[in-house]
Amino acid sequence: MEGSTAVAGRALAQLRADPRFLAISLVVPLVVIFLLSVFFDAVDTPAFNQSRYALPAAAFIIHFVTYVLTTIVLVRERVTGTLERMFISGYRPTDVVLGYLLAYTAVATVQSVVILVELNLLFDLGVGLVGLAAVFLVMWLLAVLSMALGLFISNFARNEGQVIPFIPMVMVPSIFLSGLAVSVDALPGWARALSRIVPLRYAVDALREVPSGGGLTGGPVVMLAVLILLALLLASRTLREQV
Amino acid sequence: MAAIEVASLSKAYGNVVALAEVDLEVQAGEIFGLVGPNGAGKTTLIRTLVGALQADSGNVKVLGLNPHADRWALRRRVGYMPQRPALYDDLSARRNIAFFTHRIEGTGVDEALALVELTDRADDPLHTLSGGMQQRVSLAAALAHRPELLLLDEPTAGVDPELRATFWERIRELADGGRTVVVSTHQMAEAMACDRVAILRSGRVLVCDDPRRLLGGGRATVRIWRNGRPEDHQLENYASALAPLIRTGDVERIEVEQETLEDVVLRLIKGSDGR
Repeated sequence: MEGSTAVAGRALAQLRADPRFLAISLVVPLVVIFLLSVFFDAVDTPAFNQSRYALPAAAFIIHFVTYVLTTIVLVRERVTGTLERMFISGYRPTDVVLGYLLAYTAVATVQSVVILVELNLLFDLGVGLVGLAAVFLVMWLLAVLSMALGLFISNFARNEGQVIPFIPMVMVPSIFLSGLAVSVDALPGWARALSRIVPLRYAVDALREVPSGGGLTGGPVVMLAVLILLALLLASRTLREQV
Repeated sequence: MAAIEVASLSKAYGNVVALAEVDLEVQAGEIFGLVGPNGAGKTTLIRTLVGALQADSGNVKVLGLNPHADRWALRRRVGYMPQRPALYDDLSARRNIAFFTHRIEGTGVDEALALVELTDRADDPLHTLSGGMQQRVSLAAALAHRPELLLLDEPTAGVDPELRATFWERIRELADGGRTVVVSTHQMAEAMACDRVAILRSGRVLVCDDPRRLLGGGRATVRIWRNGRPEDHQLENYASALAPLIRTGDVERIEVEQETLEDVVLRLIKGSDGR
């Protein structure tokens, strides 16, 4: 535990020293969500239910940005040699994974709050305070999961260039398999099976429950938590000490 | 006591042989130099000793332990300075040193900063420091936990000559304080500052000896003045061949043009290529 808090402290100190990186991770989703609201307003047909798509689309944006930034930060550690130096200095793979998770969870929390405020201002979400709290929980879990996934995927890239193919590889199927665009039930059997490991699917499921007034049933939220644990386990198992 | 024992160590990256049947022994408290051109295997050897790489075959003992299997136990006792600084650019020197020695007891961040003469720049972000200063921060991060064994991979690469001299003074002080230092270099002048050197070429140890003795075994052109007249001699084994020549007669003056360690090494390397 001592090792992971040291890694977290160091990662947060770096964020303080590099406000541009912090600004990008906070401002980019806000700008994209604003564009989304402009786009939704332009799709002015009665059949299009804004509130059905606004929250899932925002979730996708959080997922995308958080995943990409985490992956890049970790690969940068590998490229500069600091990852190896950490191991040689006695830090273990779990210290690195949990340390980053701790530090970036703080960022994800701020990010989720800011985005939620923006969503509430731009869209008619039709949810009360309890509903907003539920949305926050889902967004936050998804952000944490995106980081855990980024930590895991970064272990398969030796440099920043190799990260790039992993971005569409994870993100594009997310759009099709999460129920964001079409219902998962309408997909063929193998695609439905594959959708079970798509993080965004559970976020979309949970977020659609909220505006329908049902509140969270728990299932999708539990699955998000399970996937977080799975991704963390995989991330610490695959984190190679040899660079 | 041997701090490091290496026996028939081999390591290949695919088809490229990095180390071939390397045998070495480093005594506790000595400065041991790994000398050779780029690609000779110096970095691979150091990274194997620090447990960052696993050898294909052979036996390695570092402070009596297996560097890979016992790596977590060794990390408190070994300090490693990689070839690149491998530090966090946007953090201060103090923060970097503290982070990389955090897990190890007896950490002396201030002491390490003072040792590399960076106390006054300790809190500036690293990217505002010169390359040489960053190298010194990297050294401080390798020794702040007062390790018994220091493994330094080309610590003075890109450092100006004046700084290099102080750097070597520090290394000598550390060795005098009882620490074992293994240092790689391709600078011959630096090799002369070591107690013993292993000269590496294509993953093999060509020779392992005291650099002064290596130099003594080199060639020299000697002009000896007797009765106002010069006589020229070409000596093969300079140190041993000179003694009998000057024992007889009234030697007035000796002029020696000795081969440098670099020449000796180059000759050894050429010999190894002609196999």
